[in-house]
Amino acid sequence: MDLATLSIAEALQKLEAKEITSLDLVRAAKAHIDSKNADLNIYLEVFVDIEEQAKAADARRAQGEKGALLGIPLAIKDNILIEGRHASGASKILENYVASYDATVIKKLKEAGAIFLGRVNMDEFAMGGSTENSAFGPTKNPLDTSRVPGGSSGGSAAAVAGQMGQAALGSDTGGSIREPASFCGLVGLKPTYGATSRSGLMALGSSLDQIGPLTRTVEDAEIIFNVIRGKDPLDSTTIDSDTYPTHVPTKKIGVPRHLFAEGVDKDVLEKFEESLKKLEAAGYELVDIKLPSAPLALAMYYIIMPAEASSNLARFDGVRYGLAKVGDSLLEDYAITKGEGFGPEVRRRIMLGTYVLSAGYYDAYYGRALAAREALAKEYDDALKKVDVIATPTAPCPATKIGEKSDPLSMYLMDVFTVPANLTGNPALSVPMGTVVREGKELPVGLQFTASHGDEASLFAYGKLLA
Amino acid sequence: MISKEEIVAIAELARLKLKDGEAETLGKDISNILDYVGQINAFEADTTKEHKPDVRNVLREDVPRQEGDAMFEKRASILAALPRREGDHNVVRKIIQKDE
Repeated sequence: MDLATLSIAEALQKLEAKEITSLDLVRAAKAHIDSKNADLNIYLEVFVDIEEQAKAADARRAQGEKGALLGIPLAIKDNILIEGRHASGASKILENYVASYDATVIKKLKEAGAIFLGRVNMDEFAMGGSTENSAFGPTKNPLDTSRVPGGSSGGSAAAVAGQMGQAALGSDTGGSIREPASFCGLVGLKPTYGATSRSGLMALGSSLDQIGPLTRTVEDAEIIFNVIRGKDPLDSTTIDSDTYPTHVPTKKIGVPRHLFAEGVDKDVLEKFEESLKKLEAAGYELVDIKLPSAPLALAMYYIIMPAEASSNLARFDGVRYGLAKVGDSLLEDYAITKGEGFGPEVRRRIMLGTYVLSAGYYDAYYGRALAAREALAKEYDDALKKVDVIATPTAPCPATKIGEKSDPLSMYLMDVFTVPANLTGNPALSVPMGTVVREGKELPVGLQFTASHGDEASLFAYGKLLA
Repeated sequence: MISKEEIVAIAELARLKLKDGEAETLGKDISNILDYVGQINAFEADTTKEHKPDVRNVLREDVPRQEGDAMFEKRASILAALPRREGDHNVVRKIIQKDE
């Protein structure tokens, strides 16, 4: 049996029963990394001390300790800081940066006993939906190496799908956990805004970003979420478990069919309808709902996100850390440091964000997008008073070919179903809903559930119904 | 279509040095994206029923924090990350420079 294929829950059971050791798990994952990583380009770095980490976890277990993730090997997205390790955000500007402290989620994972196998590839600063925007080359999808794994947490998804870790952490600003989960046949959770601390996560869109797990099962996503969640004095946007009122279950599922009347692959929609039938057969009621502002969600997102990104990325000025180029003046130092350090998509978004925030355009773009965002949040709130979850496909199609979406706007349109949850702050989960065939290959597609703020419990409950 | 001059002006605001020919390609990409996000103008803000965001202040006592602070005892590694360093000092450029 290949231990690298086990879920977290299965691996924990075997560890507990002393059938296997953490060292066995680490070696099983490492064997896959050794044979495939050179081709797939998933790990940017495999940590040299993984066997020592495993032995330490095994020793802790031998002493009777029971961490929630004790001895479980994980892949970590390259924008989450682990003290003493490189963290580059897949950018040249941070190529040689070594993290000075642990992200709060990392601190929590360490306490729970998790093992970090290494840092995995992503779109530069999490900007993209395919992992083709990495400064260190694209990652291939292990299920079909001519295709992308999705993004921006594409390395995280590919690591789990490629048996190179029991699970992974990613970050999700507009679908960056859920879309790769869909493309790689995994479960991906974007928690409620504020549920997980972003201290130690490289900021993209601060009103949108959340850290979350990519896993093989819904149960595994729940295990990791329970470890990493919680209020943190280092991130003032974090919430308590009782910040939002408890959702009263209705056994109803809202389906906003007006959103996928066009633009979704026919067989993806068929899989979606099949899954809904399964839920209906299990005793749940489908309710047609309307989210009138949702068709504008992508427009809102591609105004608000670049505006926030352009502000956040201003910190990379070569003064305190990272790449530092010297020109003829201070102003030129900044300009050439950024000009040489940032890749094309990052530059595009900085420019777009600067434009929409500039005098004369602020009201037309940013101001209006904020107003529309409020309306969208209200529509989700209202809908989720009458239903437990809202169901949509996660993405309009399965994994695309590497190089297929070369025009930036066509890449952005892939995020149509995932951006609303970031704009509204609601939690959302992508779960596998079967496969569709492209060029003779079976490719997975995901179904997305969105729930009320603070109601990850409904996501897990509904996700398990489709397992 | 956004003009080359506008792109150059925005790049200056963004403190970003463009590569040769980049102003043209960025102009095209950004014009396409702005055409798309311009849909937002179809949104009619209802000023009579404003939906206020539920924003809360998060305050704490202004006391030196040590335990639990991510930066606590991280001085050495923060200094090690400085691009230009003299002893324990960060070497930075003069902000005010002489006109020449």
